[in-house]
Amino acid sequence: MKRVEPALKAQGVTRRYGHRVVLQDVSVEVSGGEFLMLVGHNGAGKTTLIRVLAGLLKPSAGTVQRSGATGMVAHSSMLYDALTARENLAFFGRLHGHNDPALIQRVLEQMGLAPHGDRRVATFSRGMVQRLSIGRALLPDPELLLLDEPLTGLDDTAAATIREVLHDLQQRGRAIVVATHQLAELVDLASTVGFLVGGRLAGLEPVAGRDGHSVMAHYRELAANV
Amino acid sequence: MSSFWTAALTIAVKDMKIEWRTKTAFASAIVFAVLVLAVFYFARDPTAVGALDIAPGALWVTFTFAAMLGLNRAFLLESENRAMDGLLLAPIAPSAIFVGKFLGNLAFVGVVELVSLPLFILFYDLPIIRQLPALVGVIAMATIAFVAVGTLLSAMVVRTRFAELMLPILLLPFLIPPVVGAVQLTSRILSQRPLSDLAGWLKLLASFDIIFVILCFFLFEATLEE
Repeated sequence: MKRVEPALKAQGVTRRYGHRVVLQDVSVEVSGGEFLMLVGHNGAGKTTLIRVLAGLLKPSAGTVQRSGATGMVAHSSMLYDALTARENLAFFGRLHGHNDPALIQRVLEQMGLAPHGDRRVATFSRGMVQRLSIGRALLPDPELLLLDEPLTGLDDTAAATIREVLHDLQQRGRAIVVATHQLAELVDLASTVGFLVGGRLAGLEPVAGRDGHSVMAHYRELAANV
Repeated sequence: MSSFWTAALTIAVKDMKIEWRTKTAFASAIVFAVLVLAVFYFARDPTAVGALDIAPGALWVTFTFAAMLGLNRAFLLESENRAMDGLLLAPIAPSAIFVGKFLGNLAFVGVVELVSLPLFILFYDLPIIRQLPALVGVIAMATIAFVAVGTLLSAMVVRTRFAELMLPILLLPFLIPPVVGAVQLTSRILSQRPLSDLAGWLKLLASFDIIFVILCFFLFEATLEE
């Protein structure tokens, strides 16, 4: 039988800034349809890990392999305030080799931004920027989607739209990695949870029906024992 | 067209579109250029100093410092909302980003020069219609040189705390050879000296162009690493 390659395979990833070790010997593997939720306190290394997994940072040691196109949503939108939503998507679409206005329109509709497509991003609310940022990440139809705190600062409606999009992607067999503090809002989508403590992956376990509180309680236990 | 040139041109057009819309750097550069030309004009005593003695220096002080305002802005644009990460996530060569930013900067500086040059001719009352093609050629050669170095250094300093101060400090030493060459050539062209008089400085300017454009092209990727 043909072996299906994981969408993401990171082995022994270590990242140092000077003498400071931010990530140490982290290994994760995420396949299509899998949703990995990374949990950790501030400074645990979540953002650094997401950036290393995306290829934006080179690991000081270890390897990262991605099997297809990668989309990423970070704290910052990676968008240009002076351009309209449509122009931003068209720009990033062209860089990814997709120059189809119908695709841009479809993404705007999917993110609930079609009526605002010709407005400059500078005039958008935080929720709209975040939805557009996810739309930008979806343009190359990524096999792997990496998100760093995607729900921060969003109201319930915007958060629900993003949850819906993530659920849809998961159903379509895309691999998703999310670093978040907002466990309660995403834990029911997640299939696996990774506990990052002081730059180390202290545990990688199936969610198995746990809720946000029990995941957090387990994180505290692990953090206390490290 | 190859994906390399598509990406480079897409980035350049995006930069021009944003500048056209905001006019932030362009307005400052033009105001600065007019101010410098006016200061040099009024500071000169026409009975003591001939126009041809001061004009080449005035022209290149104007062009060099006005250009720096645009070069400073080039990568600040990418650091706002960390749009640079969006470029790096796209499946394009890092050197395509350099070429795109280089072309965008070249267009910006070219327009500033296009607006300033008639003012310069007017202020100094120079009958240079016959010398204009040669002068434009020298301006183009010197501009390519300092925009190439400026683009590379702008990418280097953008992550530092005082990027707008750092760029002139790092860039000015590199500008000495092309600007001295350009001043010498401008002076000879305006004095209607024979072509043989220009050969040495033209070779210097051409060598600087070739060496630094190639060097900056290959060094650019190293400036992107965190």
